[in-house]
Amino acid sequence: MTTPAITPARVLRSEWHKLRTVRSTWITVLTSAALLLGVGILMGATYTSGGGDSDVDTVVLTLYGSQLGGIALAVLGILVTAGEYATGMIRATLTAVPSRVPVLWAKATVYTVTVFTTSLLTALLTFLTAQVFLADTDQAASLTDDGILTAIAGNAAGVTLLGLIALGLGAALRSVPGAIGAFVGGVLILPEILGTLPYEVMDTVVRYFPTQAVGVLGSAIPLPGAASPGAAFLALLLWAAAALAVPALLLKRRDV
Amino acid sequence: MIRAENLTKRYGDTTVVQDLSFTVHPGSVTGFLGPNGAGKSTTLRMILGLDAPTRGHATVDGRPYAAHRAPLTHVGALLEARSVHPGRSAHHHLMALAHTHGIPRARVERVLALTGLTHVAHQRVKGFSLGMGQRLGIAAALLGDPATVVLDEPVNGLDPEGVLWIRTLLKNLAAEGRTVLVSSHLMSEMALTADRLIVIGKGRLLADTTVDELVRASGGTSVKVVTPEADRLRALLPDARITAEGPDTLLVAGLEAPEIGRAAAAHAVPLHELTPQAPSLEQAFMDLTRDSVEYQGASA
Ligand SMILES: Nc1ncnc2c1ncn2[C@@H]1O[C@H](COP(=O)(O)OP(=O)(O)OP(=O)(O)O)[C@@H](O)[C@H]1O
Ligand SMILES: [Mg+2]
Repeated sequence: MTTPAITPARVLRSEWHKLRTVRSTWITVLTSAALLLGVGILMGATYTSGGGDSDVDTVVLTLYGSQLGGIALAVLGILVTAGEYATGMIRATLTAVPSRVPVLWAKATVYTVTVFTTSLLTALLTFLTAQVFLADTDQAASLTDDGILTAIAGNAAGVTLLGLIALGLGAALRSVPGAIGAFVGGVLILPEILGTLPYEVMDTVVRYFPTQAVGVLGSAIPLPGAASPGAAFLALLLWAAAALAVPALLLKRRDV
Repeated sequence: MIRAENLTKRYGDTTVVQDLSFTVHPGSVTGFLGPNGAGKSTTLRMILGLDAPTRGHATVDGRPYAAHRAPLTHVGALLEARSVHPGRSAHHHLMALAHTHGIPRARVERVLALTGLTHVAHQRVKGFSLGMGQRLGIAAALLGDPATVVLDEPVNGLDPEGVLWIRTLLKNLAAEGRTVLVSSHLMSEMALTADRLIVIGKGRLLADTTVDELVRASGGTSVKVVTPEADRLRALLPDARITAEGPDTLLVAGLEAPEIGRAAAAHAVPLHELTPQAPSLEQAFMDLTRDSVEYQGASA
């Protein structure tokens, strides 16, 4: 038998155990998958060539449900962190790992792996299913076409990073409703409002906001007037890093 | 072993714990007593590294709690507030905590059995009664087989059977050579459970003593004597500490009832009553903390 001691791998295992042993994880992940697949099938089945959606990117069209599904996954991110404050579990967690910060890294890691894997698999399934309906239309495409696979992976990565921002907000605000409000208001709505302001510079800045960057990552054909995929990915990584760095600093300093 | 040195905690302008120093030794149950709001829970949270002291520090086995590589093997704690996700089963709750230290599944099953939770281990904690929840908290505290156990008001809300179970458990843990620190605002409970006492009020140390000493300080056991010849009896008992409770009634400390009876019989002093009095630890506690009770009940 090994001697009991805290190691990063063990903290990771603990967080993985926690994630898979509450219903909210399964509910949010399955909800997001159902939304992605359901909306994808709806889009495919109701599509007519030459209609209003002809100029829409195929991947964007088929994975349209990831916008709604992403919200369910953001809620999961918030529950992973802020949820522990709501139940009081955080006191047990931080008594077991009093150095604290490894807990946040472990939470972010198990969340990332879980959400990225399930999102990617569901997105692939959704694309292929939708394509069954789209086979004879001007939106017919295959996984091997230029940019398609990258955009599907980009969609999953975008949803995951957006969810990590929510996870960070949950850890910083330590309140589930507070973090959901901040996510919806600050991450989803604020850039839309800023984008309507009559200043040139706003258009440029808003390009690098999380939701816009996610849109770029999930498009097979480069969008005019948007950031490049590389820049969008980098911007999103920085947003997520900042959203985790702030609560990491706070976690060290605050009383539980 | 726990050592607190000049522990001080301020929330804004209010000082909740002030300059508190004490040591808790292995092998005995130490009661941590104080009226509501005295700062007991705050002190325990500082010992566990959950709250940072404004000044001073606390160590467990010579180091701050958070500096240990396997803190759960040094201190197991039951906190005042529930610290568990209601949607998770007892088994999974303990497994998640065990994983952080690489504690094997067999140990989880062992503490579940020890606390009598084996048959409900796979039910969600949501449905647990207060007593079962408290048992789960204790199972978590014992998970790392810790040398020190810290319990914040473990008997709160428990039925007599549960209280007795905890009392026995604490004594057994101390008998195994562990350090046991248990907080309470009930002197009567501590008198039955604890060997040593740390009493605080308004965040300050009021007494660091043993239960026996406190009994002695509170006058020890005394005997109520009713006799029409009180003055003669007084003269017959020169070594006793005697207080008059009335013209015929004396409270005699320092002598047992049989000795008083024998002395009275030898000199034909009639006794109408000879009753040993239970030591009023509750009174001693109230005397000690009178000036530091946060919320004095107004008498009607
Ligand atoms: N986070 C906090 N912020 C502000 N005040 C606090 C905080 N935590 C505790 N207090 C105050 O500190 C004082 C001591 O609280 P504490 O819970 O430590 O007392 P206690 O001795 O455990 O009392 P009880 O017997 O009621 O459990 C109380 O007046 C409480 O209101
Ligand atoms: Mg308390």
